[in-house]
Amino acid sequence: MSQELAAISPEWAWQPYEPSAEQPWNVRRAAHVFRRAGFAANWDTLQAAVKRDPHELIKEVIAERETAEFQQDMSDLASTVLAGGDPRSLSHWWLYRLQHTTSPLVEKMTLFWHGHFATSAAKVTNANIMYRQNRLFRSHALGDFRKMTQAIARDPAMLIYLDSDSNRKSHPNENFARELMELFCLGEGNYTEQDIRQLARCFTGWEVRNDKFRFNRFQHDKDDKSIFGESGKFTGENGVDLVVSHPAAPRFLVTKLARYFLLDEPALPATLIEPLAKELRDNEMVVGPTVARMLSSNLFHSSWSLGRKIRSPVELAVGLLRGLDGTTNAEVLANDLENLDQRLFFPPNVKGWDGGRTWINSATLLGRANFVRRLLDNDKTRFAKGKLPAIFEKHGIEGGEDRVNWLLDVLIAVEVPNSVRTRLIQLYRKSAGNDEVACRNIVHTLSTLPEFQLS
Amino acid sequence: MTNFLNTKTRREFLTVSGSALAVSLSGAMPQVLLQAANAKAATEPENILVVVQLSGGNDGLNTIVPFEHDVYRANRSKLAIGKTDVLKIDDQLGFHPAMRGMADLLEAGSLSVIQGVGYPNPNRSHFESMDIWHTCQRKDQVRDAGWLGKYLDNATQSDVPAIHFGFEKQPFALAGRRVRVPSIDSLESFQLNNIDDEQTVKKLASTKRTENNNLLDFVQTSAESALRASDRIKSVKKAGPLSTTFPNTRLGEKLKKVAQLIAANLPTRVYYVELNGFDTHAKQDASHEGLLRQLCGAVKAFTDEMQAMGAGDRVMLMAFSEFGRRVKENASGGTDHGTAGPVFLAGSKVKPGLIGKLPDLNKLQNGDLVHHTDFRQVYASVLEKWLKNDSSEILGKQFQAVDAIKT
Repeated sequence: MSQELAAISPEWAWQPYEPSAEQPWNVRRAAHVFRRAGFAANWDTLQAAVKRDPHELIKEVIAERETAEFQQDMSDLASTVLAGGDPRSLSHWWLYRLQHTTSPLVEKMTLFWHGHFATSAAKVTNANIMYRQNRLFRSHALGDFRKMTQAIARDPAMLIYLDSDSNRKSHPNENFARELMELFCLGEGNYTEQDIRQLARCFTGWEVRNDKFRFNRFQHDKDDKSIFGESGKFTGENGVDLVVSHPAAPRFLVTKLARYFLLDEPALPATLIEPLAKELRDNEMVVGPTVARMLSSNLFHSSWSLGRKIRSPVELAVGLLRGLDGTTNAEVLANDLENLDQRLFFPPNVKGWDGGRTWINSATLLGRANFVRRLLDNDKTRFAKGKLPAIFEKHGIEGGEDRVNWLLDVLIAVEVPNSVRTRLIQLYRKSAGNDEVACRNIVHTLSTLPEFQLS
Repeated sequence: MTNFLNTKTRREFLTVSGSALAVSLSGAMPQVLLQAANAKAATEPENILVVVQLSGGNDGLNTIVPFEHDVYRANRSKLAIGKTDVLKIDDQLGFHPAMRGMADLLEAGSLSVIQGVGYPNPNRSHFESMDIWHTCQRKDQVRDAGWLGKYLDNATQSDVPAIHFGFEKQPFALAGRRVRVPSIDSLESFQLNNIDDEQTVKKLASTKRTENNNLLDFVQTSAESALRASDRIKSVKKAGPLSTTFPNTRLGEKLKKVAQLIAANLPTRVYYVELNGFDTHAKQDASHEGLLRQLCGAVKAFTDEMQAMGAGDRVMLMAFSEFGRRVKENASGGTDHGTAGPVFLAGSKVKPGLIGKLPDLNKLQNGDLVHHTDFRQVYASVLEKWLKNDSSEILGKQFQAVDAIKT
């Protein structure tokens, strides 16, 4: 398959998508846009979307921002959560925001950066500085990667997480310098061990005091350093600049963004990465235009991308709720998602969540279905402000066949085999005497399907 | 319950499984398990490998401590462990004082410590080095399966050929081209709850997909294998009490579950667990001590339990880490990423004692130890002598097996 991908012309791949007989603009493609650029859409949104020009719609999705009022609500809610001091509550808070935000792409990018500059509250423990880091990701969500990297290099949560909160010139700590190159900017193989040791010297004297960044000039190594063959009395800021300016940086970032928005595997070949990497460099590392180009591209709307990602637990849960006009208790949600290997603010390690196939194993597959059951059976869960049948009543959808087909349209990214569809309808009819039981059982059974795990 | 086993087979079954299972047999025994046990007892019981992955890079020098060495003491002004504190192995080397469990195992002839294990051109990235240990391939080579996954592809037809215990993502080592290995968080949660019609779910999962989507095929085969493994595990959940008290630690809990499944005679050849936290860049002394105590307590209890249930001769545990740490400590009271380190084998069939030498502290390369035993030599020994499998295909070429296992 990767060979076929290598055969794709970059011009075609990144040109704006043109609806055609083979690639029609329909509910499936509209749902694809909302799943990837955010956390799925409900039926009304999808119905409105298919009547629009796809590019107008995508522009709107990219430009959407939360209202000032909603943002105020979110910061008030955060203040309440932070008063408790428990960083675990932050994951409830963020899941609440994801369920209700009107700017899903900004949140999707904030989640991207959370996984990219992964920092766990398990080690940092201080909820306030974890929240500050989250705000930093949100404010740079579609912005300047260089500015964000400079900010993250001084971010107390990151410095504590990578043991750089007391970095002395006598024995520089290499942890942050290594991850800056390996995981944040360049990828393995683009630097030497010598570069790491030299870069680590740039960050000596960088400390955290009273939860804030502080430069301790007495501990800073002021001598010459040599990084990527350049020499100078580099500061930490110079060090970050050198790394972000390295030619591998835009390639690295584009590759990672493509995997996030387009397809889990295989990795895009260099022929497809290069044009976007050049564009990102020309845009001085501002990522918004690159994301916009990806979402409106032929490649995004082709079978190379449709259904070619595995849903993360957060995407699965928030997508299910947003798709069915659902709401639920965010605390229970956060705890249940932890069992599926994703707790926001607690990534597993500095590499973040690996995503793709690594989300799936026996325990998480059974766990995903059990999670959906618990969500459906939870008294706090509401659909269209009522019990599950309310969502069908809202749209006037009656009978097993129509309900099953409707659910497949809203919730599932790829076609299921006809035999599967038929069995689902039979299953619905079996308990059709009790509307609520039948609806819950069918959504629960859908969640066990392999197709349900794809985005 | 004797309906399922004739007297002779039952006696063989009990002999194999030992006292722990005898207790559980007095309770209600699920039919599936008895059938499995019956089939099992008819053939020679096969060896079992339990892998403990020490994630983050274990500081080998503060694990097996060269307490007399000047270079060690000079480079570890804060972290060096002294002569009076170590648990002495000989007049040069000793265990970290928190490693009483392993010291006892060594004393009992059930522990082999292979020193200086690594590989050429060491990579100091956690993820890259772990992938190298898992796949035996460098980054520019094809990495489509792990070393244990390849073994399982070759060797087993079982529906639960290996089990990964833990909530972490599944180790690459277990990825096979054909075989899908289940990951299990807890025995209790490893099933579908409140499912309306489980038969339908199984049929839906096993329906072959024709979408030409590799990811979908992967999820579909994983779902099929999850449902099969769940059926199998459901039948052993009530496995009886063990005779050893396991420490109340994460690793202790995991190895206890492994012991329960071994007691229930599951046809599983490989169990894999992880102990995380060895990336001790700062304030290493307390955290490393805690980790080593956890490791050794759990390994000791597990090895004791295997003896008690009569499985000591067919269960071996291997503990490894992706790299050791820099000889010179850093300013944060920790150590940075390094190279070679020790690998541990525990069980009554290991050749006890120290194997290989501590890498020469006077001949460091970039401040790091130089390995003398390739990790693939350890794998070769495990594959050939323990799992009775050819190693050259899996490892890419023939490595000279480390002489650490009795034949």
